[in-house]
Amino acid sequence: MRGPILAVCIATAALTLAAPAHADADTDFANTLHAYGIYGQKDYNAWIGKIACKRLDRGLDADAYASAKFVSMQLPKGSTTEQAWQFVGLAIPTYCPDKQYVLQQAAGQPVAPPADPNQPAMPAEQAS
Amino acid sequence: MSNRKGFTGALRAGIAALAVGASVVSVPGIASADASDDYPIPNRILKTTCTVDQYMAAVRDTDPVYYERYMIDYNNRPADVQQGARDRIYWFFSLDYAGRRQYSEDTATNVYYEQMATHWGNWAKLFFNNKGVAAHGTDICQQYPVSDPTVWTWMQ
Repeated sequence: MRGPILAVCIATAALTLAAPAHADADTDFANTLHAYGIYGQKDYNAWIGKIACKRLDRGLDADAYASAKFVSMQLPKGSTTEQAWQFVGLAIPTYCPDKQYVLQQAAGQPVAPPADPNQPAMPAEQAS
Repeated sequence: MSNRKGFTGALRAGIAALAVGASVVSVPGIASADASDDYPIPNRILKTTCTVDQYMAAVRDTDPVYYERYMIDYNNRPADVQQGARDRIYWFFSLDYAGRRQYSEDTATNVYYEQMATHWGNWAKLFFNNKGVAAHGTDICQQYPVSDPTVWTWMQ
């Protein structure tokens, strides 16, 4: 009799404790943006972050400078360039960590270019 | 006597004027569904010389969430409806100002005029529904390539 009751108690505790510990990515993203003085709707900012990632992925934005320019167009008037960069610097690790290399490139750090599966074969590999 | 006659005449004229006035007032009432130069299609879209691709690429930059919503909706349509919407908007952009203005009039006065809308109600939302978006897009659309097929394949 004790066993099932204990199990229920543990399950209840797990449920109540789990809720605050697992805020979703969009909420964490919005909370950190607030520290930069960037407000606005949570869903809107999250969407802009995800679209910035998509633009990098599609090659529409070639580097972090293009991302920052795109983001600065979407932030409220009066936002600073610094805030746009802070937004990009947070959006990439949050929504597309595989694109971190664009931030490293912008910071002047040497980065190995990402492997391009579509690049043409080297001369030695090409059939003659 | 002549005075009285004059009064009656003035009264008659007044009633006639009222009647005419009433009919004048009621005519615009009936025609209130007419198009204006900004409704239902924004003036900027009637006047722009940009191509469909230029305008869409511009809005992808200026109003990315609006563009994203439209493309999600587009991608939820069957292939033939997507094709129909693309063909129809390219056709609309091929019209000159007078043709576009006439089309605006036709769709405003006849809800069944645009057959595309029976398959997809919001088929032209990116172009016709928001004056702000139309203004942002047409402000800078000249800077973009005349032809850019990626504006339709953004979600893939």
